Amino acid sequence: MKKRAGKIYVLIVMLFLYLPILTLIVLSFNEVKSMSVWGGFSLKWYDELFHSRLMMGAIVNTFSIAILAALIATVVGTLAVLGMAAMKPRTQSALLGFNNIPMLNADIVTGIALMLFFLMVGVPRGYMTILFSHATFCIPYVILSVRPRVNRNTDRLYEAALDLGASERYAFRRIVLPELWPGITSGFLLSFTMSVDDFIITYFTRGAGINTISTLIYSEVKIGIRPSLFALSTIVFVVALAVLLVINVRKDKEDRADNALQAL
Amino acid sequence: MIAKKSYSIPFIIWIIAGTLVPLASIAYYGFTSRDGGFTFANVLAMFRSDHLQALGLSLLLAVISTVICLIIAFPMAMVLRESKYGKQGFLIFVIILPMWMNFLLRTMAWQVLLERQGVINALISAVGLPRQEMMNTPGAIVLGMVYDFLPFMILPIYNTVSKIDEHLIEAAYDLGAGKAKVYSKIIFPLSVPGIVSGITMVFIPALTTFVISNMLGGGKINLIGNIIEQEFTINSNWYLGSGLSLVMMVFIIASMLILQRFDKTGGANLI
Amino acid sequence: MAELIRLEGIVKSFDDNVVLNGIDLSVDENEFVTLLGPSGCGKTTTLRIIGGFETPDKGRVYFNGQDITDMPANKRPINTVFQNYALFPHMNVGENIAFSLRVKGEDEAIIKKKVADALKLVNLKGFEKRRVDQLSGGQQQRIAMARAIVNEPKVLLLDEPLGALDLKLRQEMEYELVRLKKELGITFIYITHDQEEALTMSDKVVVMNEGYIQQEGTPQEIYDEPVNAFVADFIGDSNILSGVMTAEKVVRIDGVDYPCIDGTEEGFPPKRKVDVVIRPEDIDIVPYGKGLWNGTITSKLFIGVHYEMLVQSENGEIEWLLQNYDQHDVGEKIGMYVDPENIQIMHKPKSEAEAAIEIDL
Repeated sequence: MKKRAGKIYVLIVMLFLYLPILTLIVLSFNEVKSMSVWGGFSLKWYDELFHSRLMMGAIVNTFSIAILAALIATVVGTLAVLGMAAMKPRTQSALLGFNNIPMLNADIVTGIALMLFFLMVGVPRGYMTILFSHATFCIPYVILSVRPRVNRNTDRLYEAALDLGASERYAFRRIVLPELWPGITSGFLLSFTMSVDDFIITYFTRGAGINTISTLIYSEVKIGIRPSLFALSTIVFVVALAVLLVINVRKDKEDRADNALQAL
Repeated sequence: MIAKKSYSIPFIIWIIAGTLVPLASIAYYGFTSRDGGFTFANVLAMFRSDHLQALGLSLLLAVISTVICLIIAFPMAMVLRESKYGKQGFLIFVIILPMWMNFLLRTMAWQVLLERQGVINALISAVGLPRQEMMNTPGAIVLGMVYDFLPFMILPIYNTVSKIDEHLIEAAYDLGAGKAKVYSKIIFPLSVPGIVSGITMVFIPALTTFVISNMLGGGKINLIGNIIEQEFTINSNWYLGSGLSLVMMVFIIASMLILQRFDKTGGANLI
Repeated sequence: MAELIRLEGIVKSFDDNVVLNGIDLSVDENEFVTLLGPSGCGKTTTLRIIGGFETPDKGRVYFNGQDITDMPANKRPINTVFQNYALFPHMNVGENIAFSLRVKGEDEAIIKKKVADALKLVNLKGFEKRRVDQLSGGQQQRIAMARAIVNEPKVLLLDEPLGALDLKLRQEMEYELVRLKKELGITFIYITHDQEEALTMSDKVVVMNEGYIQQEGTPQEIYDEPVNAFVADFIGDSNILSGVMTAEKVVRIDGVDYPCIDGTEEGFPPKRKVDVVIRPEDIDIVPYGKGLWNGTITSKLFIGVHYEMLVQSENGEIEWLLQNYDQHDVGEKIGMYVDPENIQIMHKPKSEAEAAIEIDL
């Protein structure tokens, strides 16, 4: 009885989460431009989407900014973690406190703050200001994912490598980096998704004439919803589904391998 | 030691240029008048009746959305904890997936559903009832907030709830506690850190949003986020916008401090 | 035997915390030296200074007469078996062992042979392809050994290598270590807080506390002739009793004047207050009234081979710890006798570091 109630509850929540998305997916194949009348199957909104220069430009911007911002954040963040390991606990926690600000602060405040900063120093807003801002809010996530990997154990492995005759560079490349790698990659991926997903900070730090997917959606929705946005929703959903599935399957395999090992 | 302190220099520079100086510039503009002198006017402008009304409505809607999210999320987290699909990650996967979809598109979905010519009204009129005006109401905004932020409430609560040692619960039953006591004395206190970070992750974006209110409120309902956004984008009054932002930050910080009193671990498990 | 390593006046502090207070130590070639002491005594720091992971604030380190104080770890002919092993988790067993050979750029064919030999030496033939996290604690320990010795160091440093193993395995590994040491013919510097390990394996035991060397000697010397209450207390069970010299070679313990063998040459003049160590197994039980001291058994525990008893002395407040193979009952009145050569007289502790460790029960 109790199990049943739980299942029904999960089902209701799932419907709440997915029915709106499902509606968009169905409407993206609708021949007519209506939100409630089905006019037959069509791919024309996808066609319109792919032929939109604005949208293609926004997609290129979104992903190039995300990759670059994630790269910058990963390098700066990883170095920061290594540097912090040499500092006194007090200094470390002070730095981590500052590091938390962009994560805890409301995006609108972060966005406005960065915008005012660019205005004050006289940098014209555009691609570079978006990139700088994205790296700013990504760095904290890299630090959070890499930091747990730098501990006494990493220090010991590094010392063991030196003890066995390795140079500092060799020990770093062959021992420390592989140890940090899972944290570094997850920091990178987290940064990448945060950057792709961001709207509010981009909205305040972009200049006129440059769009990411988010800002373009916002300006289009304000004018009036076009079904090509439904097509975009479908694509975004399918891509997200595919990426998450791949990540999950890989993790599953690793887990199973680990379980098998433990059984040995 | 692998580490050299100097590795942190780029990061420290970045914090200064990307976080501290920008925040300082909000403070600078917030206390400066248009002619360049020092003033409290921009901050005190929050007490103008239209601003106060917007702030009040923002707080009200944010609290309502947060409470609804909490009410939906806690049982969900408990079901996930007990379900074998929860542990294998399928259900978690299903909850994370919508988070990966751009939240503007997700909000737009509700516009499509609630619109006068939208899906729900089409269903209503199909059964012969009059069409309802659902868009541009506070209710629509709350719905949008709950929809957008619900996963951010479920996941942290699930994270703490799933780590509660089954033995603790068994021990409580063993010591004579009933189901209600087990929940109120064991499970709930132990899930406080997750609840606190869930509330933080829902309440602050709900309090400060201008997107959801713009899309589902049709520009007719002004939250404090909308007022601030308009000062920057339409009225180009950065001074007033900054002043109001400062006041809003006070509310953010205050709500975090209040929440932290409930959670000794502080912000450690926000992520 | 020739001296291989010499520490001279090593002082080291972290922040404001002085960890080493002027350590002088000499280690001979092919010697098994154990640094023994409680955690925080400075033994690990001493080892890290020898290994090249820390630089002393003061003092020098010599290897074969050459000053190596400032030589980095990767240049020293010294290898370490780390506490918890520090095996590289992303490499398999063979790659771990081959690490130092690859760093040196040895020929792959030679590497393969040397790795196989090292594995054979630690009784794990054919383990090359195993993943590190597939190994049991004892196996990991052996791999760490193999990795450290494959490059034929002159000195092997071992940082509590058996600490993570359970008792049975630990005892096995003690024999293994002694065997390995013999086969390799190199110097071992071993640190542990376990007095039994130290006594079983070492040629020389160095007892440390609070940054000072308390006593240095063969296991026998350390056990039989502890120089202060700390050493006596740390090595094995003991009765540490307050006494006073009443005459030349006569000490009054628990109200009884007792002739002792050692004393004068080390400067224990009459009237000097001293500490006296009597090992619990050196106390013989004799019929009541026939002993030097008499008392009542207040408690009794059976610990495997023997019984451990507490005896309340009639002369004073002193409670004696006895170990005996024969069973006596609680409440029984007995006499106690100790052979003069089993009484060790020591100076009263001059500092905290020399005093017995107080354990609050």
